[in-house]
Amino acid sequence: MIFGIKEKSIILTNFDVLFAIATNIHVRLKTGFVLQVAVQGTVSLQCSNVRRGFHRAALLRLASDSKSDTSVPPPSYHEVHTAGESSSSSAQGESSEDAQPNTSFQDQSGEHGEDYETEEQLQARILTAALEFVPQHGWTVEAIAAAAETLGLSSASTGMFNNGAGDLVLHFVAQCNAQLAETLAEQNNQVQLGQAEAKKTAEFLKDAVETRLRMLIPYIDTWPQAMSILLLPHNIPDSLKHLSTMVDDIWYYAGDRSTDVNWYTRRAALTGIYNTTELVMVQDSSPDFEETWAFLDNRIKDVVNMANTAKQVQATGEAVVQGLMGAAITVTTQKMIQFPERNILSTKRLLGLLF
Amino acid sequence: MKDPPELQLVALRVYDASAYVTKLERNMAASARTLVLRALSDSTRNIHHVSRCRIKHLCCRAGITGCRGYSDSTEGKSTHFGFQTVPEEEKAEKVYKVFENVAKKYDVMNDAMSLGIHRLWKDTLLHTMNPQPGLRLLDTAGGTGDISFRFLEYTRSMYDRQQRLRAKSHQTPSWQDIADHYVSDKAGPPQSRAVVCDINKEMLKVGKQRAEKAGITTGLSWVVGDAEELPFDDDQFDIYTIAFGIRNVTHIEQALQEALRVLKPGGRFMCLEFSKVTNPLLTRLYDAYSFQMIPVLGEVIAGDWKSYQYLVESIRKFPDQETFKEMIEDAGFFCVQYFNLTGGIVAIHSGFKL
Repeated sequence: MIFGIKEKSIILTNFDVLFAIATNIHVRLKTGFVLQVAVQGTVSLQCSNVRRGFHRAALLRLASDSKSDTSVPPPSYHEVHTAGESSSSSAQGESSEDAQPNTSFQDQSGEHGEDYETEEQLQARILTAALEFVPQHGWTVEAIAAAAETLGLSSASTGMFNNGAGDLVLHFVAQCNAQLAETLAEQNNQVQLGQAEAKKTAEFLKDAVETRLRMLIPYIDTWPQAMSILLLPHNIPDSLKHLSTMVDDIWYYAGDRSTDVNWYTRRAALTGIYNTTELVMVQDSSPDFEETWAFLDNRIKDVVNMANTAKQVQATGEAVVQGLMGAAITVTTQKMIQFPERNILSTKRLLGLLF
Repeated sequence: MKDPPELQLVALRVYDASAYVTKLERNMAASARTLVLRALSDSTRNIHHVSRCRIKHLCCRAGITGCRGYSDSTEGKSTHFGFQTVPEEEKAEKVYKVFENVAKKYDVMNDAMSLGIHRLWKDTLLHTMNPQPGLRLLDTAGGTGDISFRFLEYTRSMYDRQQRLRAKSHQTPSWQDIADHYVSDKAGPPQSRAVVCDINKEMLKVGKQRAEKAGITTGLSWVVGDAEELPFDDDQFDIYTIAFGIRNVTHIEQALQEALRVLKPGGRFMCLEFSKVTNPLLTRLYDAYSFQMIPVLGEVIAGDWKSYQYLVESIRKFPDQETFKEMIEDAGFFCVQYFNLTGGIVAIHSGFKL
């Protein structure tokens, strides 16, 4: 995986790929490769577009060393050779150190153990750090500014987030949903492997919603503010998208594979349950939110009851209809026996109409 | 198939309003018109050559510097000064003279030419910037200090608002809280500082007078400096702005490099500048207004036709939104984006040093 380039869509030519690979080689110096690759000499970049595109796709940051230790397969020998062969122009890209020809990367100073990350990754890092400051500043741009300062950036970098607080809240929601999906997948795995028992639907739903809502507990004081931000018109499409994917995930792991109208009714029901439980939670003051979980329990029972009742009603309705049919036939045949000469044809027609 | 010299000649006829040249133009006009007509109607090489030589000759007689660039290709690098072509060394000097002349009436003329809309543009710039209290701003080509005044005002009100919100959540402070509050308030509010940097002393003088009148005493500095070679150390400023100034810079790439240098990591580069209008109908209105009204206003209000002619021409010479965005990215900024204001008449470009 080429670090940091996959994000941006650049139409790459051969040269671009070589350049990217070569710079990637340059980055992987942690692995101790003695690569006699002329970093600057990979390509004569004809189009500044590539450099600019690469600019946009990657930037130099001080990242933790563990990041650069990820297992990246060493570049193939063929690529190294072709990179080494092509000549000379000084394409520095955005490496901070001066390009030196044919350097062995082993003896470069610690700062060269840096990793590239994209703008999105940096933004994600800032937002994650900003969550710490939410209890103090609320879901606002000030929290993001405080986070940027802890990361060593000027607080002017909050301008990167055009949506301000909305970006922060949406990032948090996406993070929680990802965590939930992971937990559910793991549980599912365990059930598949036979290490755990499969739960009943009602219990599964209850546990899933409880897990998800427990992630709000650290921010429960300021959560009403976050909810109101999510309801702003320009945020509604995104927040609805997050909500619907979460509900879909839960039902999928609960085992729902329906393809009829049940798909919609189930998700609508769970959305309703989730939203109402969330609202109860923000005003709940009982220890460990017991009342919320009791409320959740009751709502799920209601939904299950409703489903059962619906089935019963349908069965009863069918039975009633069949009964009525039977009664109608009996009456008409009786009439036929009592008055045989009258309207045999008409009763036949009537029977024909009935069926 | 337009022949460059003819076009140049036509351009000179229409746009160059220098008094010396107008007189000659009146003489030239008749002969040039016939030349142009002949050249256009007759497409043989001979006539073209003749017309070219004729025009060169005429131009040399008139002493227009534009043709000098055309005839001597081995001279030093040249750049544009409005629609004229001048050697690079001269451009800075000419720009200096332009702004020296307009300094006293600069603000009045801004209001008159843009019908007061320039205030909205600058306010939008500040809102896009959304600065937190305590930041350092470098206002390059800041001249009379419009952006800096707004910056100080904005951060001050932002700080007041934050204090109010903080007070609201502390409605019933305990005695301990009150004691802490007394102790901690020695530091005072974080001071946001603005530095106005301009190459032109006259503009800075006018700006200082305005500051005194407005009663702004702290947090503002006035520095003479060239945007291509800023007199500051690296990593000094949180925000770098250049409002309606970058088109006057001779080497825009160098100015962008300097901006990158003096910004802190995470710092923001913002540029408010005239740009290409996107709406074709608006383009025609805008062009008509620019070339017919603005120099006239300049003459009437400030007594200076040529400077405002230069202003309007330099706007046309500036690259469009996408090109300028690419230039900023080339300089090394990230997350570069632009916002069009008033249909593209003005654009705010923003980039980050990450």
